[in-house]
Amino acid sequence: MMIKQFLLVFVALVGAPIVGGLLFGIDRRITARLQGRYGPPIVQPFYDFFKLLGKEHIAVSKMQFVWIYGYLVFMITSLIFLVLKSDFLLLVFLLGFAAVSLVLGGFSTKSPYAHFGANRELLQILAYEPVLLLVAIGIYAQNGSFLISEIFKQDKPLLFTLWPLFLAVLYVLTIKMRKSPFDIATSHHGHQEIVKGVTTEYSGPYFALFHLAEWYEIILLLGIISLFWANPLWVGILIALAAFILELLIDNITARMTAGWMVRLSWSVGLILGIANIAYIYFTKGVS
Amino acid sequence: MAIAILLPVVAGFLILAVRNYYARGAVVILTSLILIANSIFFAIKGPFTYTPGGFNWGLLITILDYGILIFYLYIGFSLRNWLVLIFATTQIIPLAYFEFVMKAHIEVTPAFVVDHLALVMTLIISIIGSLICIFAIRYMRDHEHHLHLEKSKQSRFLFWLVLFLGAMNGLVFANNLVWLYFFWEVTTLCCYQLIAHDRTELAIKNAARALWMNATGGTAFICAIIYLYSTQGGAVALSMQNIIGGALQGSLILLPVALLCYTGCTKAAQMPFQTWLLGAMVAPTPVSALLHSSTMVKAGVYLVLRLAPAFAGTYLSTTIAMVGAFTFFGASALAISQTTGKRVLAYSTIANLGLIIACAGINTPLAIAAAILLIIFHAISKGLLFLCAGTIEHQIWSREIEDMEGLAVKAPLTTLITAIGILSMFLPPFGMLVGKWIAIEAAYVVPLAAVFFVLASTLTIVFWTKWLGRLLQVLPKLGWPIEKLSLSYSIPLWSLLIGIFVVGIGIGPIYQNFLVAATNNVVSGNQIFALGMNNLVLTSTSFIHKEILGIFPVWPLYLILIVALLMPLLLIGLKPTELRAVYMCGEQAGGGAPDTDEWFAEADKVTKFKLGGYYFQDTLGEKRIYPWANAIAILLLIIMIGCGVIVI
Repeated sequence: MMIKQFLLVFVALVGAPIVGGLLFGIDRRITARLQGRYGPPIVQPFYDFFKLLGKEHIAVSKMQFVWIYGYLVFMITSLIFLVLKSDFLLLVFLLGFAAVSLVLGGFSTKSPYAHFGANRELLQILAYEPVLLLVAIGIYAQNGSFLISEIFKQDKPLLFTLWPLFLAVLYVLTIKMRKSPFDIATSHHGHQEIVKGVTTEYSGPYFALFHLAEWYEIILLLGIISLFWANPLWVGILIALAAFILELLIDNITARMTAGWMVRLSWSVGLILGIANIAYIYFTKGVS
Repeated sequence: MAIAILLPVVAGFLILAVRNYYARGAVVILTSLILIANSIFFAIKGPFTYTPGGFNWGLLITILDYGILIFYLYIGFSLRNWLVLIFATTQIIPLAYFEFVMKAHIEVTPAFVVDHLALVMTLIISIIGSLICIFAIRYMRDHEHHLHLEKSKQSRFLFWLVLFLGAMNGLVFANNLVWLYFFWEVTTLCCYQLIAHDRTELAIKNAARALWMNATGGTAFICAIIYLYSTQGGAVALSMQNIIGGALQGSLILLPVALLCYTGCTKAAQMPFQTWLLGAMVAPTPVSALLHSSTMVKAGVYLVLRLAPAFAGTYLSTTIAMVGAFTFFGASALAISQTTGKRVLAYSTIANLGLIIACAGINTPLAIAAAILLIIFHAISKGLLFLCAGTIEHQIWSREIEDMEGLAVKAPLTTLITAIGILSMFLPPFGMLVGKWIAIEAAYVVPLAAVFFVLASTLTIVFWTKWLGRLLQVLPKLGWPIEKLSLSYSIPLWSLLIGIFVVGIGIGPIYQNFLVAATNNVVSGNQIFALGMNNLVLTSTSFIHKEILGIFPVWPLYLILIVALLMPLLLIGLKPTELRAVYMCGEQAGGGAPDTDEWFAEADKVTKFKLGGYYFQDTLGEKRIYPWANAIAILLLIIMIGCGVIVI
C-alpha cells in the first residue's frame, strides 16, 4: 500500500511536467493553426525550458526567488494531494498558497509591470477561489465527504448532479490557464499592455521554474476536471482533454476583458451556478 | 484561584504606586510570570470547582457592581453623552429592582467552575495577555516619549491592562451568572479606560461609543438574569451549569439564552456593533493587541460558545450561525477597503470572531472543536500581528499601509515576523487555516453559512496578500541591515512566533489532550466530572479525530513550508553583479544603478514612479457597505431574539 502510493507520487512528479509540457506544445501548435501559422514543434516548450535553465542568473530581488519556489512547491504538493486522493478542500487551500506565492513574487519588487500583474493575479484568485471551494462543498453535499477517494467509490459520476458546478469549473480553467478572455495577469501571447505581467521580473532559470509550475498546474486542473467522471476514470480524462481543447478555441475567438468584468462575472454567474447546485442537492437530498 | 483573579488586582495597585520605570517593569514581569505559571498549574491539575468562603464576596461584588454603574452615569453626565447615560440607567434600575424589590438570593454553589474550556481560555489569557503586558512596558515609554507628555500616565495604563487579565480570568471561571455579569462589567470598564487613555477628543468619543454599545449588552445580560430568576425558581437558574446542563425547563430558557447571545455579540463586536472595536484602534497598540487576542472580544465568543448546548437543535442556533457567518463575510469585504494597518487587523478580528460564533451556531461537535481551535490560534496570531503593528508604528511612526512600502529593507526582522504572522492567518499549514478548514467541513449543516464561509475566506486571501505585498515591495538593492529591537519588544514577538509553530505543529497532541475534553465539556452541557476525557460524545479515536486530523499531514506540510520558503530564503545567495534594475521599457533614469525608481517621463523629465495598492473604496468602502450590511445584521439580531420569544 505504502509502496504503491510512493510509486504513484513518483510517477506523478515525473510524468506531470512531461505531459503538461506536451499539452502546452499542443496548445501552441493548435493556436498557430487557428491563426493560420504553422507553429513550433510539439516539444518546443521543453527546448525553451532547457534554454532558460542555461541562461544567466540575474535578479531584481531575492524575495522573488523565495516566492517562485513557494509557487512551484505548493503546486506540486496540491498535485500530490490529488494523486493520493486526499481531502479536496485542503487541496484547494494548498493551491491557494501556490497562487498567493505567485502574487507575492510579483509584489516583492518595485516594478510597475510586475505590480500590475500581481494585483490582477490577486483579482483572479478572488474570481476563481470561491468557485473551487464551492466545488468542494458540492462534492460534500453529494458524497458526504470531502475525500477524493470517496469520489472514486461512487458508481454515479459527479457530473450528473454537479453539472452546474462543472460549468463553473470550466470557467475557472480559463482563468487558471491564463487564456482569453481572462489572460489578465500575464499571457502566453505577446499582446499585453502590461508586458509579461506578474512574471515580468523573472528571467533565466527562475522563469523556467515558473513554466515548470505551470505544467504541474495544468495537470492538476485537468485532474480536478476528470474527477467529475471518476468511474471509469478514462471517461473523465477524455472530458478533461475535451475541456482543454475547448479552452484553446475560446482563447482564439475571444478578446481579453478587464479584471473588474472578470470578478463581476465570476461572482454573479459562477457563484449562482454553484449556490443553486448546492441548494438543489441540499433540498432534494438533505444532510447526508 | 485567588492568584488568577486577585493577583492582577493587587499587582495593578502596586503598579499604580510604583513610579520608577524599571521597578514597575519588574512588577509587571513578575506578575506575568506568576500568572503564566498559575495557568499552567491549572491546566495540569485539570478541572475543578471552587466556592470562596470566609468573606461575603457576594456583597462586595454587589457594591462594586453599583460602583461601576454609577461611574458609567458619571461618564455619561460629564461627557454629555446621552447614549451612555441611557444604557447605564437601563442597567442600574433593573439591577436595583432585582436586588431590592425582588430581594434575590444570589448564592450559587459552586461559584466557580473551571472546566477544560475555561482552562483553554485561562491559558490564552494568562500567557498571551502577559506577553502583551510585557510589550506594553517599553511601548508606553516610547509612546509617551513620542507625544512629549509632561506627566507620565504609564502606571495607570499598566494598571488597567493588568486588571483586565484578572477580570477575564474571573469571567471564564464564573459559574454564578451575577458574578459573571460583574466580571463582564469590569472588562467593559477596563476597555473604556484603556481606549480613552490618550484623552484626545477622538479617544474619548470612541471610548464612550465602546461603553454604550457594551452597556446595551450589559442591559440584555441583566434582563436575562431577572427573567431566569423569576421564571425558573430562584438562584438555581443563575448557575451556568444548570442553564447549559438541561436542568431547567427547556423551552423557557431560550429567551434569556438569546439575550445572553446578544450580549456576547456586542462584546465580540459582531455587526452592527463593529464600530466600537474599530474606534478602539485610536488607543495605544498594546490595548488593541489585548482586546483582540486574549481578552474582551474573546469574552463575547466564550459566552456564546459556552451557551451552545442550551440552544442546540433550535432555530436560534441556526440564526446564530447566520449572524456569525454574515459578519465573517461582511467584515472580510470591508477589510479590503481599509488603508490603515490596524483597521485591517480589526476587521479581520471581527471576521474571525464571526466565524467562531457561526461555529457555535452550527453546533456539531466538529464545529465546536473548530471554534475552540480558532480561539486559540487567533489569539496567538492576532496578538503577534498587533504587536508587529505596534513595532512597525514605532519604526516609521505611521499606521498607514502605504507608508509601509518597502519595510523589508528598513526593518527586515520585523517584516519577517509580520510576514509569518500574516501567512499564519490564512494559509495552510498554519493553525488558523486548520480551524477554518474544519469549520467549512462542519458547515454543510447550515449551507448558507457554508457559502458565506467560502466567500469570506476568499476575501481574506485578498486583503492579507495585498498588505504583505506592500511590505515586500523593495528596490533592487543588496544588504538589508537587520534592525535592533528592545527586549521588551522582541521577547513577546519571538514567544508568539514560536507559539504559532509549536502549537501549530503540536496540534495533534494538543487536540487529544485538551480539545477533545474541552469540546466534550461544551457539547455535553458541561458535566465536567461525569464526562471526562473519554466519553460518548467525542473520543480521541472518534470520527473527527480520524477523519479530520488524521488527514491533515501536519509534519509533512510544515516540512514543505520549510522547503518552499525558508530554504530558498537562507540558501539562495545573490551577488551584486547579478542585480538588475526593474523593467521600465528602457526609460530608466539614474544612470544605470539598479536601485533607482526614477524614469524619463514626458519631455524626458526625470520622475519618480509611485506604486500603490488597490483598495476598492468605491465598491467596498465603509460608506457603501455599512448601510445595507448593518440593516441585514440588525435584522438577523432581531430574528435571533425573536427565536427566543417565539418558542414560548
